[in-house]
Amino acid sequence: MDAWRIAWFTVLCATGATLIVLPPAVVIAWLLARRTFPGRAVVETIVSLPLVMPPVATGLILLMLLSRRGPIGRVLERFGIDVVFTWKAVVLAMALMGLPLLVRTALAGFEQVNVRYERVAATLGASPARIFLTISLPLAWPSVLAGAVLAFARGLGEFGATIVVAGSIPGATRTLAVAIYGYTETGRDSDALVLLLISVAIAFAALWSAHRLVERRPA
Amino acid sequence: MEPAWSVALISLRHVRTLVAIPLALWIAAAQGLPAPKPITVSAAVSLTDALTAVAEAYGREGLGSVRLNFGASNVLARQIVAGAPVDVFISADEAQMDVVAAAGMLKEGTRVAIVHNQLAIVVPTDRPRTFRGISDLTNPAIKRIAIGDPAAVPAGVYAKQYLEKEGLWDAVSARIVPAGSVRAALTAVESGAADAAIVYRTDARIALRATVAWVVPFDRGPRIVYPAAVVRTTALPTESARFLDFVRGAAAARIFERFGFR
Amino acid sequence: MIDVDIELVQGSFTLAARIRIDSAAAALFGPSGAGKTTILDAIAGLRTPRSGSIVVDGRVLFSSKDRINLPPQQRRVGYVPQDVALFPHMNVRRNLLYGRHPGLSPDLDRVVGMLEIDRLLDRRVTDLSGGERQRVALGRALMSGPSLLLLDEPLAAVDVPLRRRILPYLLRVRDHLRVPIVYVSHDREEVEALADVVVRLDAGRVVGVDTPGTRLMP
Repeated sequence: MDAWRIAWFTVLCATGATLIVLPPAVVIAWLLARRTFPGRAVVETIVSLPLVMPPVATGLILLMLLSRRGPIGRVLERFGIDVVFTWKAVVLAMALMGLPLLVRTALAGFEQVNVRYERVAATLGASPARIFLTISLPLAWPSVLAGAVLAFARGLGEFGATIVVAGSIPGATRTLAVAIYGYTETGRDSDALVLLLISVAIAFAALWSAHRLVERRPA
Repeated sequence: MEPAWSVALISLRHVRTLVAIPLALWIAAAQGLPAPKPITVSAAVSLTDALTAVAEAYGREGLGSVRLNFGASNVLARQIVAGAPVDVFISADEAQMDVVAAAGMLKEGTRVAIVHNQLAIVVPTDRPRTFRGISDLTNPAIKRIAIGDPAAVPAGVYAKQYLEKEGLWDAVSARIVPAGSVRAALTAVESGAADAAIVYRTDARIALRATVAWVVPFDRGPRIVYPAAVVRTTALPTESARFLDFVRGAAAARIFERFGFR
Repeated sequence: MIDVDIELVQGSFTLAARIRIDSAAAALFGPSGAGKTTILDAIAGLRTPRSGSIVVDGRVLFSSKDRINLPPQQRRVGYVPQDVALFPHMNVRRNLLYGRHPGLSPDLDRVVGMLEIDRLLDRRVTDLSGGERQRVALGRALMSGPSLLLLDEPLAAVDVPLRRRILPYLLRVRDHLRVPIVYVSHDREEVEALADVVVRLDAGRVVGVDTPGTRLMP
């Protein structure tokens, strides 16, 4: 039984996905919180899409973009990079599904930061980038972190998009959620139960820490 | 109370260590992947155990290495049509193989039937009964009959076909509970939510709290076939054909039989 | 010399003000909603007027005619908002040094000595009293080497005894650092002690300018 290997692989992928999605999500959240620009509503909608679309549909879109015949996959193939049916696809699916949660939580965090701090920093000569890094981000950090934990937890449980774009290849792309599905479909209920308990434990730890961080956020 | 910013800074430090270790291990793991290129076989999830054993035997004989991808046949078919890098497709039914064929994604002349399955009627182990035939389903004591959803699940399609052929569909259709998969139908019986289910014989074999009441004989029931074919876009046509040959061979047949297929 | 001549629309509120100040400390005086803070914001570059110009000591900060609109970073204006807005995640020292500008900033020791906040440098700003926060915010603005200091109700948030203690610090800034001050107030006592020009505003218009000699206030 390679339950621990599957759990470890899933945690690694979810961690990688969270790290990949963190910088763009934080920038998007900040832009949505502080700037008005043309196409704002479009950006907001696109970012939320993975939340409202069936995960299988998200997976199919990823698959069509990244397969060897797809517009992105064709370019990547030229550099010898295969994404579909590899751990990279797992990470990507998790990242995409976590994006809306991270953006929304971080957005709420940035909105809570008093604009006055940023304005005063500007009058003190700080560039927009410096204001973002020294004022906005540190003050919104608890929310950003809570969002990251949520995205991580979402990645742990990701099934629909993962099984489509990464498949269920034992030892290569099998995550906890995908393996649980596989085990129940083949009648290995006790194996599924072990993975289920591991998932519950990891998810509980992740969500508990998110909850604590949100609670400690300044009012 | 500790001010929030100090919590934030502590957390930032934690994140750094939390991230550095898995990342290093991850990179190490990625570089340790095996070098020779295996063929990728997408197979119906119900074949998981049997095909894993077949692929192991294939590797033991030094014929090549196989990467197995298991899923619901309709998902696997959609993956192939969308351009997923699959070399061999083994479907749980002809319909999903037809979907791939219609998209022009099968290599001509490679489509073969590899294993057969049978329908079986299962009942809860704590309420065992033996059927003399399919018409026993009309027994009023059987209030709920779980089958795979005939609109989507191959096992459900077969079950409905068979009931119609035997002229029983109208008599029992009010008691039919469609389930999302053949496993879900089996679980309905195991949990006692249904009094009987029509599932594959292979599923009935491994059920813990359901027993087989009757197996539909080969000559009476629907022809249940797992078709296989090489995908047209494969980069490894020779290796793919070699694996298909092996799957149809005598050694593989013995393994499939061990898992209840014929 | 501060020359502000702007028209600024903000929802249903329209500010149309022409103000020339040539003194060490000028007060913008009037009831709330008169547009006092809006003028400070416009000078600091935090709100953009629809038209007009803002010139400080011959430097054009804003001119709709010449399409000049310096960002706040380049205006060299020290701004202390009403709630002082000390950065809560930094200690006093880091707040003071945030806007430090080599070549422009005064000596830190001199500023903290003058404001008597030298003992607070390593304290968290969340632990400071109201008067201490005012002085640190003042110090932070001064440390950016401003050519003009904008104070929004510098004494409104503190009680009367504290007010009497902070006022001398403002006088020191005015007289020793020689940074001109424009500040918003609706407190007569404060205005009389500090300002040598009082610009009276009401409903977005200048309704009078008082100098010590012609003071019209009762």
